[in-house]
Amino acid sequence: MREFKWVWGLMRKYRAIFFTALGLVFVVNLLNLINPIVQGKIVDEVIEGGMLEKLLPFVLLMIGNTVVRAALRYTYLYMFENVSQNVVYNARRDVFRKVQELDFDFFDRTRTGDIMARITGDLDAVRHFTAYVLYSIFMHTVTLILALTVMFIKSATFTLVLLAITPITGILAVRLSGTVRPAFSAIREQFARLNSVVQENISGNRVVKAFAQEEYEIYKFSRENSGFRDSNIRASRIWEKYLPVMDAMAGLLSVQIILVGGIMVINRNITLGDLVTFNSFLWALNNPMRMIGWLINDTQRFATSAEKVMMLLNREPRIKSREGAIVKKPEGRVEFRNVSFKYGKEPVLEDISFSANPGQTVAIVGPTGSGKSTLVSLISRFYDCTGGSVLVDGIDVRDYDVRTLRDNIAVAMQDVFLFSETIEGNIAYGAPDVSVEKVKWAAQLACAHDFIMEFPEGFDTIIGERGVGLSGGQKQRIALARAIVKEAPIVILDDTTSSVDIETEHQIQQNLRDYCKNRTTFIIAHRISSVKHADLILVLEGGRIVERGTHDELLAMKGRYYDIFVNQYGDFDKVVNE
Amino acid sequence: MARNKFDIDEELDVKFDFKQVRRLLGYLKPYKGKVAFTVLLMIASSLLALLGPYLVKVAIDEKIPSGDTGGLVLLAAIFVVTLVFGTVCMKYRIRTMSQIGQSVIYSIREDIFTHIQRLPFAYYDSRPHGKILVRVVNYVNSLSDLLSNGIINLITDIFTLAAIICWLLILNVRLALVCFAGLPVLITITLLIKNAQRKAWQKVSRKLSNMNAYIHESICGIKVTQSFAREKENMDIFLGQNDEYRKAWIDAIKVQFLMWPMVDVISVASACAIFFAGTRWLGTAGITTGIIIAFTSYVWRFWEPISNLGNFYNSIINAVAYLERIFETIDEKPTVANLPGAVEMPQVKGAVEFKDVVFCYEKDEVVLDHVSFKVEPGETIALVGPTGAGKSTIVSLVSRFYDVQEGSVLIDGKDVRSVTLESLRKQMGVMLQDTFIFSGTVMDNIKYSRLDATDEEAIAAAKAVCAHDFIMTLPDGYKTEVNERGSRLSVGQRQLISFARALLADPRILILDEATSSIDTKTELALQAGLQRLLKGRTSFIIAHRLSTIKNADRIMYIDNGRIIEQGSHEELMERKGAYYKLYTAQYQLLEAV
Repeated sequence: MREFKWVWGLMRKYRAIFFTALGLVFVVNLLNLINPIVQGKIVDEVIEGGMLEKLLPFVLLMIGNTVVRAALRYTYLYMFENVSQNVVYNARRDVFRKVQELDFDFFDRTRTGDIMARITGDLDAVRHFTAYVLYSIFMHTVTLILALTVMFIKSATFTLVLLAITPITGILAVRLSGTVRPAFSAIREQFARLNSVVQENISGNRVVKAFAQEEYEIYKFSRENSGFRDSNIRASRIWEKYLPVMDAMAGLLSVQIILVGGIMVINRNITLGDLVTFNSFLWALNNPMRMIGWLINDTQRFATSAEKVMMLLNREPRIKSREGAIVKKPEGRVEFRNVSFKYGKEPVLEDISFSANPGQTVAIVGPTGSGKSTLVSLISRFYDCTGGSVLVDGIDVRDYDVRTLRDNIAVAMQDVFLFSETIEGNIAYGAPDVSVEKVKWAAQLACAHDFIMEFPEGFDTIIGERGVGLSGGQKQRIALARAIVKEAPIVILDDTTSSVDIETEHQIQQNLRDYCKNRTTFIIAHRISSVKHADLILVLEGGRIVERGTHDELLAMKGRYYDIFVNQYGDFDKVVNE
Repeated sequence: MARNKFDIDEELDVKFDFKQVRRLLGYLKPYKGKVAFTVLLMIASSLLALLGPYLVKVAIDEKIPSGDTGGLVLLAAIFVVTLVFGTVCMKYRIRTMSQIGQSVIYSIREDIFTHIQRLPFAYYDSRPHGKILVRVVNYVNSLSDLLSNGIINLITDIFTLAAIICWLLILNVRLALVCFAGLPVLITITLLIKNAQRKAWQKVSRKLSNMNAYIHESICGIKVTQSFAREKENMDIFLGQNDEYRKAWIDAIKVQFLMWPMVDVISVASACAIFFAGTRWLGTAGITTGIIIAFTSYVWRFWEPISNLGNFYNSIINAVAYLERIFETIDEKPTVANLPGAVEMPQVKGAVEFKDVVFCYEKDEVVLDHVSFKVEPGETIALVGPTGAGKSTIVSLVSRFYDVQEGSVLIDGKDVRSVTLESLRKQMGVMLQDTFIFSGTVMDNIKYSRLDATDEEAIAAAKAVCAHDFIMTLPDGYKTEVNERGSRLSVGQRQLISFARALLADPRILILDEATSSIDTKTELALQAGLQRLLKGRTSFIIAHRLSTIKNADRIMYIDNGRIIEQGSHEELMERKGAYYKLYTAQYQLLEAV
């Protein structure tokens, strides 16, 4: 039922159009009665009665009626499509909005292809339902009621006799409705899996080719593809059980006319004329009975898809702005107070405390998987810490409006994702209204300007999804420019220069010196050269800060930082003294 | 660059062609016996259905007035038999057509998927992935209706139409011709709106593709979007896409829906024409009152299949908009493919030679400029140089991810184009700059390079690249589920998994393209110690910026601007005091300078 409530919520805005269209359906159904009557009159009065002069008016009436009903039918079909397109438009908007709201945690666990399936395939069932199924149900119900009314007036007993078999159809309908639902659900699940396997294959095409695993990919795909085929066939196995029988039940009405009706006429319970009338109205009775199975099918198909869409829509992001959240632009002071973070049961960060003021640079080093990226992602509140608190300007990040908070943090992630957009569009991603000059300025600071200008189309060059066509270092520099152009008080550079050569990295550092003067900067890096100048270096290991200090302090400590230094610059003296 | 993005329509300039439909019908070939039988059944059952009204007529006209109860029972019994037959036919039809329809969809999807496996990087690089996805999944699905019901209805309707035409001609030729007169009008109008209709549906398919591309990218890039708090702007762009699709659909439907009123008006008009002609010709040419009445009731039977055919025609026009895209993809020529006469690459020893190689991704944008070098089996080659110099390009030519424009790439003296791609690539272990993690367990991901590897082998590979320790800290160890975006794995961890994956293939040639850029120094050192052993006997190419990674290579090539500027061992190059020396000492001087 919730599914219908949901779709009604979407239709509400268009209910005027929808009900007008239903009204038109009713009118057209009435108009449909005119032509057979006129035709009968033509036969009676013109052809058999010989009143030729009446032919023209009759014909004009028929054609006029047809033109009107065709126009009306066209109009209502169009109106229903219109409503349905608007409903789907809004549903798609809601899903997209929800997807944008959901937190990292959701995306860490959900496959892209599954989400895609919701937005494309499942919403199509909603479209079909609102454009076609709803009014069909209405149309058949109206026809049924009209026919039954006329029949009851003619002979209540015979009508009841005719209706005697309808409970069977009813039972079948209820059964069909119950059994077909899981089958549709299975189809939708399988569709999502199919979508995911294809989506991953396309996104991972480089790895597939690198290991020549095309055969394996085809195998994986075939499994889901045949699963999809089979789940569809399984569903049809269910309705092949019910629909033909329901169809036959509708046909059985004619048998009743012959047998029961015939006997009743012979016994003088009803007149022969009544029986003929009944017979001519029979289509109005058995057509809806025939359709009921199909409509139940379509309705259940809709309900299953709607359920899947609603499951996505009802998911609450754990990270959202609380009521009355702060929207004031922060200056950029960042403080971690006994912060710990668990991912599920797995502890990632423990007891992290430090603070940084605008103008300061905090560098974080440490082994792979020690929690560096997690630490900085807590500032943007991509995850909420499970213990302690992260403060910006002395206020807990959970008290900020999420958008305000993130608007004031510029992040260059280690996992560079670029959009299939122009380079300019990519750099201006976080600040779409920024001028071209600003974009170029940011590119210059990120040492990206020169290589961009080497492309024939410069900043207008479209880069492929995920930045295909650029080298790792180039991608990183564009991502860096993207963060720079935002001019936020807090800047987070997560392993941004790992694929950039040392000279360029040095140049970037020089360029950023001025830029970072009034900002709080976080740098995650492995190279000593990237972190040496930081005001505070945190050495992370196993989710804890094991050493902290400046470059010189840490070297003097001869601990882990010193080890890293020796590993990278072991022959320092030798080379420099040469 | 001729790259497509989400808001650029993919133009396709092909005329409407029934070849597309014929090609689709080709997929039905294996089932033609079944289809024919189903059609026969359907015809039989629709003929039997005609018997129904007749039985009722007999009952009302004869049996009831004469009070023949026995006769009524007989008629009812016959009726029940026809119903049972009808039920069986319908059941058979639902079963076969769903089987056939689904199997055809399955085959088309299989074909398009199998084909895109053969398409080179360039294909994937030049368009948003959502646009490829929509073809394989959604476009193919949209054929389902046409296949499961359309074809059978088409044949049944044509048969019905032929039967009714014959019957009308037998009844009376003149009136039959009057009845047919509406047909040319209908066909003319249909042909007139065909172009508009086709364009409208093509637009729908393009807009769907665009929207899908945008949704896909938005999901893949969601972390960037959220970190830049750009949700509002993206929402606006999406609503634009969404709206364009809605508009395109409504426009298409506007044309599509013209069919029904047209048939309605024309059929009524032709019934009226029969009244006119009939009354005028009454008494001549064998036209009697009975014939006219019969004709006016048959007129509807004549137009009904035509109306159905009109609907079928509509769905064909609609389907072709998707079909042509599907077939366009299936027909896309793989630019890097096995050449005729390509042989299996024998067990690779590991000699690699570049002979005067010229390569560009785009015309006139030379990336490699007459590069020549020779590598002995077992040698470790490090490539250094500024970003964008062409290092990744060189290694991707070894696996023949692209074909060279001039010159040749030889492995063990064999041109890479003379051997099959699979046999070549199976013997290489490539670790790309972009790590990609498939959804599945960590174990699945490591084994991706060699599916028949045992767990022990996979674990050994993970240990060799120092990935074992961190994997064991994951909640379910090697059985931990990860996904495409890598879930909670850091980039460094993903690199280690990809590294293990590359190594497990036990390749003769190992290519590490910035394989360790995000791995910390300590792990990297441990890794190198193990690597020395692993690299033994294998030819390897290493691209890295951290010079500690490359110092131990047998030979270092300094690449700049698509050329090899210097090559030699670390010591030799240091001695030469050229570009490499500058690079190497720079890292120390720069450290001082900071």
